[in-house]
Amino acid sequence: MLWEPVLWGQLLIHGVMLAGLYGLLALGLNLVFGVMRVINFAHGELVMLGAFLTFWGYTALGLHPLVALPFSAAVLFGVGWALQRLLMERVLGGQPMAALLVTFGLSLIIINVGLLVFGADIRSIPVVSGSLRVAGFVVPKARGLAFLTAVALTVATVAFLRWTAFGRAIRATAQHPEVAITCGVDVRRTRLVTFGLGAALGAAAGSLIMLILPMDPQSGSLLILKAFAVIIVGGLGSVAGSLLGALVLGIAEVFGSFFIATVFGEVMAYVLLLLVLLVRPAGLLGIAER
Amino acid sequence: MSALLDVGGLSTGYGVVQVLEDVSIRVAAGEIVSLIGPNGAGKSTVLRSVVGLLPPWRGDIRFDGRDLVGRPPHLLPRDGLMYVPQGRVVFPLMTVRENLEMGAFLFRRDRARVREAMEWVLGLFPRLRERLGQLAGTMSGGEQQMCAIARGLMARPRLLLLDEPSLGLAPRFVDLVFEKMDALRAAGVAVLLVEQNAVRALEIADRAYVLARGSTFCEGTGRALLEDAQVQALFLGGRKGEGWR
Ligand SMILES: Nc1ncnc2c1ncn2[C@@H]1O[C@H](COP(=O)(O)OP(=O)(O)O)[C@@H](O)[C@H]1O
Ligand SMILES: [Mg+2]
Repeated sequence: MLWEPVLWGQLLIHGVMLAGLYGLLALGLNLVFGVMRVINFAHGELVMLGAFLTFWGYTALGLHPLVALPFSAAVLFGVGWALQRLLMERVLGGQPMAALLVTFGLSLIIINVGLLVFGADIRSIPVVSGSLRVAGFVVPKARGLAFLTAVALTVATVAFLRWTAFGRAIRATAQHPEVAITCGVDVRRTRLVTFGLGAALGAAAGSLIMLILPMDPQSGSLLILKAFAVIIVGGLGSVAGSLLGALVLGIAEVFGSFFIATVFGEVMAYVLLLLVLLVRPAGLLGIAER
Repeated sequence: MSALLDVGGLSTGYGVVQVLEDVSIRVAAGEIVSLIGPNGAGKSTVLRSVVGLLPPWRGDIRFDGRDLVGRPPHLLPRDGLMYVPQGRVVFPLMTVRENLEMGAFLFRRDRARVREAMEWVLGLFPRLRERLGQLAGTMSGGEQQMCAIARGLMARPRLLLLDEPSLGLAPRFVDLVFEKMDALRAAGVAVLLVEQNAVRALEIADRAYVLARGSTFCEGTGRALLEDAQVQALFLGGRKGEGWR
């Protein structure tokens, strides 16, 4: 297609900004997978719940979404903890299919409760408007803000995993739960915190996504597909991989919708999923099964 | 003798399949005790129940007088008990340094203690010092086993449970593993050593147990068992010197 440096730069910027959100969106899912070895099919619904909590804080309490976000994340941390404690602990370590089905059932329940409580209307948080010009490129303020916040949270999470004792306990549990236990890691508590953290990160991602895209209680199913594409493209369980996967998806969506057709952006997640599964099933930076 | 580790009448298994029947093992402080027996006899199962990864069906397990049955396994390093599982198990995506630090996870706030332990294990396994920044999963099998043992020692345990540390290693690493047993004896660390390499395990041990089909079937000093005709028969179906290793 036509080579237009400014246009391509503009698209690239949009793609990268989207990628920041997708990276955060996938991070919680990937973290939970790494530690539990279960794809949490309800992750999208936790994202949606977090977004709606922030929306509620904005409309009912008049809170700026970035102020409401930590509260929403904290509530979802508790929800994730409780789900692990009451539900997942009973099925983890048994048949893998049982755990998958539980998260799948959970997602259906949350969607329907969401429809009952929030209604089926599409909501958005149009609190930040206008745009900036940065080095000749147009950056909508809402997208810029969402992107920067998402990147900050991602960096904080990666640093937490890398440099804190608890982060190390999480990584040890992901890599070898039994040895982690015998080294003194309370693996059960680590899993509770991990599920809580995964949900909290999802809530943060959802809140930020609602700044730029309208959502309804069923939006979670589309979002988890994107998160899923990100971690499959990058490699299951690899944090660096999922950041790369997010970049690929974000940029592919923007270019796809611009050059091919608007709807094509939404199809990109499927296209990438299929491509990667066909060509390189372990993902771009994937590690083979232990 | 008041033993450091006292396993009495231990029976357990997986699901409904019983693997151990009435196993009794004692290890005194500072003692090196070998547990030998054919493949599938249940040696690993003994160690796994001692550290609480597999609950016993019957019997008791005491460490330094404390009842270990039902004690959360992640507290054992604090009691002074460390377990190095079979199969060179490291945290593959952590550096060697991080792996070693994991061994002292419960003592991480005591920086001086961790630093001292680090110097001690790096003195025992100097090769690891060159590899501190390397991802453990990218090292050779022998180096990974060194790393796993060193990780166990980082807690400065009073008893180290070692499951087949020489299995599948190149001969020079096998020698190294057995050499280190003397160093541990000198440092006062008791070891319960599970081995298939029966002769060397008996040579190095103060005492030894032979496990066959899930029961401890004989016990004695390493020397005595080396000379024992029954033990020889069990391991070789023949005379000493033929295919023992
Ligand atoms: N996770 C398990 N589930 C079921 N059976 C097992 C398991 N682990 C070991 N076994 C069985 O228990 C018996 C003893 O195994 P193990 O303790 O590993 O023997 P050893 O270490 O002496 O080779 C074997 O018959 C083995 O098949
Ligand atoms: Mg074994």
